[in-house]
Amino acid sequence: MRCEEVRPLLAELAEGNLREAGEAERHLGSCTDCSAELGRYRTVVLELAALREVLAEPAPGFLERVISEIPERNWRSMIHRVASDERLHYTAFSVGGAVVGATAIALLWRRAARRSLVAAEGPQATL
Amino acid sequence: MVTHELLAACRRGDREAFEEVVRRTHRHVYTQALRLVGDRLEAEDVAQEAYLRVFRGLAGFRGDAQFETWLYRIVSNAAMSHLRKRRRFGELVRDSLEEPRELPSPVRVAEEAVDRDSLTEALDSLQPSLRVVVIMKDVYGLSCREIGDQIGVSEGAVKVRLHRARKRLKEILFGPEARDEM
Repeated sequence: MRCEEVRPLLAELAEGNLREAGEAERHLGSCTDCSAELGRYRTVVLELAALREVLAEPAPGFLERVISEIPERNWRSMIHRVASDERLHYTAFSVGGAVVGATAIALLWRRAARRSLVAAEGPQATL
Repeated sequence: MVTHELLAACRRGDREAFEEVVRRTHRHVYTQALRLVGDRLEAEDVAQEAYLRVFRGLAGFRGDAQFETWLYRIVSNAAMSHLRKRRRFGELVRDSLEEPRELPSPVRVAEEAVDRDSLTEALDSLQPSLRVVVIMKDVYGLSCREIGDQIGVSEGAVKVRLHRARKRLKEILFGPEARDEM
């Protein structure tokens, strides 16, 4: 590759993820100008990454203001916790099963009671 | 910065644990917001909104990604929403191909060294559509795809802007003899 083909690739090559780096890198090994240019791009990329730890100082009271705005309860977190807790699943199934069973027994008992009432009242109704 | 134990406590709904997360990260969050919106008061609003989103979203954070990466993504998102509300989002989407002809004096001290203030000034001199992309990608490590989704342009357009931003920064920092890219 020639310089004019390699130069437009340097901004991306500085990050070290260029697919066709092989051919470009061969050129860079023998061309001091392109190699120096790549060094400048790498400096830019590295220094930009380092800016992440260069921190601005917020105004006094900022932290307290942020904390005071946090809601007391996180309903989503609570719902998520309930939905993902296996013990709560078993408890819910047990309680649900008990309620269904009790309802079924109550209905059967009521039906049987009504039948016996009808049977007891039957002869009087015909008089 | 933030441990797994602390995050687990937050997911259990422990408010004090969340306050500790805020204490440990607030300067990072504020700084990122400031870099993206460029105003101290607005950066505070963005940081506040970002923490509310983090608070609501922590239950669903599975820990596949690093917490910091997730946090940076949320702050970027909150900053973009803020700029949309303030009707300043258009300047990020509109990409002027016209670069200022004049370059400031080079600030290079040596080929391999760039001082941080000069880099920050160079970043501030970029047009918004380039500045936001290079900050999200090179400073905070978001992917080109994520950036495209956040600012509403294609991944390819993000890569082109990133290339132009790096080239421009290199020209500002290292001077005219390094600007010919044929």
